[in-house]
Amino acid sequence: MTQQPQIELVSVNKHYGGFHALKDISVTIAKGSFVALVGPSGCGKSTLLRSLAGLESITTGEIRITGETVNETPPRHRDVAMVFQSYALYPHMTVRENMSYSLRLKRVPKTKIDAAVAEAAKILGLEDYLDRKPNALSGGQRQRVAMGRAIIRNPKVFLFDEPLSNLDASLRVHMRKEIRALHERVGATSVYVTHDQIEAMTMADHVVVLKGGSVEQQGTPLSLYDMPATKFVAGFIGSPAMNFVSGEITGDGGSVLLDLPGRPILPLARQATPGRKVEAGLRPEHLSLAPPGVPAIETRASSVESTGSVTYLYCGGDPEIIVLSQEREPLSSGEPVRLTIAPENIHLFDPQTGLSIGQAAG
Amino acid sequence: MTRRPTPLLLAAAVLLSAIYLFPLYWMYVTSLKSGSEVFAYPPTFLPESLDFHIFAEVWQTRDMASFLWNSLVIASGSMAMVAVLGTGCSYVLARYRNIWVDIALFLVLMLQVLPASLMITPIFVGFSALGLLEYPRFAVMIAFTAKAMPFFVILVRATFMSIPGELEEAALVDGNSRIGAFGLIVLPLARNGILVSAILIFMQAFGEFVYSKSMIQDVTLQPASVGLNGFMGPNTVEWNKIMAYATIYVTPILAAFVLLQQRIVSGLTSGALK
Ligand SMILES: Nc1ncnc2c1ncn2[C@@H]1O[C@H](COP(=O)(O)OP(=O)(O)OP(=O)(O)O)[C@@H](O)[C@H]1O
Ligand SMILES: [Mg+2]
Repeated sequence: MTQQPQIELVSVNKHYGGFHALKDISVTIAKGSFVALVGPSGCGKSTLLRSLAGLESITTGEIRITGETVNETPPRHRDVAMVFQSYALYPHMTVRENMSYSLRLKRVPKTKIDAAVAEAAKILGLEDYLDRKPNALSGGQRQRVAMGRAIIRNPKVFLFDEPLSNLDASLRVHMRKEIRALHERVGATSVYVTHDQIEAMTMADHVVVLKGGSVEQQGTPLSLYDMPATKFVAGFIGSPAMNFVSGEITGDGGSVLLDLPGRPILPLARQATPGRKVEAGLRPEHLSLAPPGVPAIETRASSVESTGSVTYLYCGGDPEIIVLSQEREPLSSGEPVRLTIAPENIHLFDPQTGLSIGQAAG
Repeated sequence: MTRRPTPLLLAAAVLLSAIYLFPLYWMYVTSLKSGSEVFAYPPTFLPESLDFHIFAEVWQTRDMASFLWNSLVIASGSMAMVAVLGTGCSYVLARYRNIWVDIALFLVLMLQVLPASLMITPIFVGFSALGLLEYPRFAVMIAFTAKAMPFFVILVRATFMSIPGELEEAALVDGNSRIGAFGLIVLPLARNGILVSAILIFMQAFGEFVYSKSMIQDVTLQPASVGLNGFMGPNTVEWNKIMAYATIYVTPILAAFVLLQQRIVSGLTSGALK
């Protein structure tokens, strides 16, 4: 059974004058899914979201919501709700009026509105604040009101533009879970913009990585982590970021020779073209201290940081290699260390194009 | 550094305001003096006897009701035209940023520089050709609207710029049309700034002289400013009556300003979103 997708973006292009902000973007979003758009600042995430909302018009391509082309449809007829980064609460209205605004515009009967406000306020824990103005609320409470204004409408699609970026770290983690729970409870389709890959990884079913206005890779969070298609995605997803070391495939095609002091040779899980120049990607959490006898990167710990639960080892200098260990490593800075990695965890990328050279686990 | 004004600064402030307000004081005092006391030397700083009959007398003899009514008509009409046209104009100038907007702003500021006494000749000729001088009060309203518009636009544009565009976008997504978002979200937030600017325009228009003097020949249609001018002939000796006229003319405006000053100052300085 194939269900009709809730949102389809077909070859969407957007130009701001001479600036090409969105480049040939095609994304399909299933009904009820939670999709994250991530990427570095300026990559076009907000532009894409605003195009979905109808606040920007696209230059070419097509946007469909439940099968209907909405390229020319004004925002009010798209049945989407949006939570803005600045929350954009109406300052001259109380929380109750803010939340009920869209329903009042639709001339929903007052008793229904009251019930809807009461329910949304209960879900969001805003019952005590309904008669306050937004300027008498904390950042977290304002964020909830913005969410309330969206959920009360029961729209086809929720759009979030970095809704948590103005909150402090612990509240952010908390709201992450709440938004996800809310999404499940309401059962709507959500598109969530963030520059924080952890938010994208933890909240979304489907992650779209944007770079410079085009889709770099999309897929489930774990597929992006396990099989990054490009060096950019590999470095963007995962924290601390993946280590990159340039090197060359050995003559037998079964190992990689790294450009590091001591010229270490690490075995690969699959054959590669002998002599090919590569960038090897080694995730900090996949590296570990080598037992004697196995092939290893010989280096020196330049600093050791322990958070109690995990230990960060910063090794060597050019390039620096970060190791994330679950153990309390009995090491101090300056000591020599030997690092190893399972062959299937080595990612290889073309140094010129940055594309993955089908090597890593999968 | 303390924020408390030093006695010296305080003294300077008091002295300067005294100098600045002295003419006003002199107007009130003179209006209450008798004809001979006006010319007494040395001048008296407080009138010898208080005679309020002079106000009723001046009101009657100078037919002030008609003059003030005309002032009111011209001021209200000008204010309404400035507010309606200027609000839309300021909104556009606040929301769009391109070369044309910059040019428009430059022109608006340039208009502000041109003095009314210079503009009146071409305006008079043009209006006369258009037949507008048949309706002289309306002609004055139009001319004054053009003159006062830059001031209004600059103030109100700043108010609109302080309202984030995201609020409008939120309203669009919530179900408003462009016009609905403007009327229900932007206008209420800009209300204070618009009201205050409109009041300032009203006060300016209430004292307008150059255009009215040139364009309104019919005495029954002239505003109080022109009436006052007509009172002051070359051989005038009735200074106390002239001052009584002036007192009747400006006191309501002054009272309104004093009553509203708190709102006026806060409306101009605070953003829409406090
Ligand atoms: N109105 C505009 N006119 C011209 N260029 C624009 C306009 N709006 C956005 N851009 C450009 O489009 C690109 C994408 O902007 P966008 O706001 O979508 O970035 P973003 O991915 O949301 O970044 P951030 O994480 O910083 O919010 C940027 O390079 C920006 O300079
Ligand atoms: Mg953005």
